[in-house]
Amino acid sequence: MRGFLPAWALALRVVGLTFRAQLEYRGEFWMRVALGLAWQTSIIVFATVLLGRFPGMGGWSSDAVLMIAAVRMLGHAFYEVFFGRVGELAVLVQEGRFDAFLLRPLPVYRQVQLSAFPSNALGDLLVGGSLFAWAVWSIELEWAPWQIAYIVAALVGGMLVEAAVFTALSSLHLHFPSAITWSYWTEELMTTFGNYPLKILPGVISGAFTFVVPLAFVAYFPVAVLTGNTAGLGVPVAVAAAAPLIGLAAFAGSRVLWNWSLTRYTGVNG
Amino acid sequence: MTQMSTLDRLSRPASESAIEVRRLVKTFRTARRSPGVRGALRALIAPELESKTAVDDVSFSVATGELLALLGPNGAGKSTTIKVLTGILTPTSGQATVAGVVPYRERERNARNIGAVFGQRTQLWWDLPARESFRILRDIYGVAPGDYKARMREFDELLELCSFWDTRVRHLSLGQRVRCDLAAALLHDPPVVVLDEPTIGMDVVAKEQVRELLRHQVERRGRTVLLTTHDMTEVERLAERVVLINHGRIVLDGTLTEMRERFGRGWRVHVTLTGPDERPCPPGLTVLERDGARLVLGPTGGADAVPTHQALKRIIERYEVMDIRVEESDLEDVMRAAYRDARQESPA
Repeated sequence: MRGFLPAWALALRVVGLTFRAQLEYRGEFWMRVALGLAWQTSIIVFATVLLGRFPGMGGWSSDAVLMIAAVRMLGHAFYEVFFGRVGELAVLVQEGRFDAFLLRPLPVYRQVQLSAFPSNALGDLLVGGSLFAWAVWSIELEWAPWQIAYIVAALVGGMLVEAAVFTALSSLHLHFPSAITWSYWTEELMTTFGNYPLKILPGVISGAFTFVVPLAFVAYFPVAVLTGNTAGLGVPVAVAAAAPLIGLAAFAGSRVLWNWSLTRYTGVNG
Repeated sequence: MTQMSTLDRLSRPASESAIEVRRLVKTFRTARRSPGVRGALRALIAPELESKTAVDDVSFSVATGELLALLGPNGAGKSTTIKVLTGILTPTSGQATVAGVVPYRERERNARNIGAVFGQRTQLWWDLPARESFRILRDIYGVAPGDYKARMREFDELLELCSFWDTRVRHLSLGQRVRCDLAAALLHDPPVVVLDEPTIGMDVVAKEQVRELLRHQVERRGRTVLLTTHDMTEVERLAERVVLINHGRIVLDGTLTEMRERFGRGWRVHVTLTGPDERPCPPGLTVLERDGARLVLGPTGGADAVPTHQALKRIIERYEVMDIRVEESDLEDVMRAAYRDARQESPA
């Protein structure tokens, strides 16, 4: 099956199949959805409490901070929908399911993404979407066409930055199963620090979140550009504004790394 | 199998060979661990890396429409060779082609040319009926609806799938699951089929069905089959040729007869005479044991060697025979001897 549309049609058929497979375990399916909801809601509750106590953060208004959280969480939900399986790649490798992907005439990375229906992402989408709607409603912006286009690009870019980080980490999953714990830790970092203006952190840490784990490009930089909070970003405004493009480039780079890592795959038992 | 005949096979034109493996080497790098906590700590801080060669300079070819059994004890390098041929692993050196494609360079193209079954794993969707997996594989490989129906009908006739193909895969027995995996592997009509221990853990009925299917695929469909198995009955019933591999090296590439000749202890004839008889042995035979009227005779070997039926004729003509029985080494004995022999030859 070749060509863009047939490939998408096939992918949707497989998604339908994996969805039906998950429905075979109804209890587990609803628990996963509920987990996504609970996880994201707990983050919102924490952020709301924090914003209630401190109406501003590093010179940012609480509405603008809310927009950072909303863009990150909705971007994260999109990441979970389209790329999230990459975070559990080590499990597929250890169970030997990954080897079966290499026997089919389909791109391996795509098969990883199609290996399970992202039921937990349903909760993420619901919470992220609601928060985003709330943030858009709260923030005082004119919503000119460029701003609408930019926020859409920022959401896609945020998704791609997260996909790039976890795709790069999953290159290690192909060889070291314990690398999965690094993925969990990185996700924890992104959840903990991704919802606030990073300028409130010491320079070394905010620098690390810009150049090592590029969390700043997920939501902080795009929302800073959108709301005009461009003082003290640690990078030129043009770089911050280019966050969606940098996300695209980072993702492309991570895929090159992943493919290179795949050529060195040695399997679970030799 | 002599070295000359291996070379003879390798020198066949590429178009005749569905699988070509030349000087294949696969080495894995692992950390050597000394026993105890101290050893574990040392391995953590200053690991001593060692290379383990799973496949060592292996060359063989499989002609189009041939069934070859790749045999060897556990850890011999069979599965690693299979993984290279299916595109799962990239070799350290050497070359392999399957239906003219280098599997590890053109993985997707190779996947269209091969059907693969790993007896201990499944490529079916675990939580759905097997038929759902067949349908999605039909779409993945772009099998035309008419061909799909015809093939499913054929697989059902040979493997009796319809009684369980609507059952969720996780509820299938091992035999049922592997039969579904075989159908899934053949659905896109691949010219080459690779099977890694397909009948492991199966009952005799299921095993026979699988063997029948494989025979059908080779004889009627002209497919090339590469099979690894520890089941010697399977080898005896299916394989035209065997490649015996041990410690990553080929020990023998030849027919079963050639393997028996090299590693088997040949045949023996147990004879009970009507009474003690001191007459000399017929030509081409030698007395191995004598106990009154009971004799055990074997071939002399060399230029005088006689086939079993000639030996029986000569014995009956020479002696007054009350009972006669031929004992041949069974394949398990031959394999055991072959593995032992290979172990003695191996520097490890």
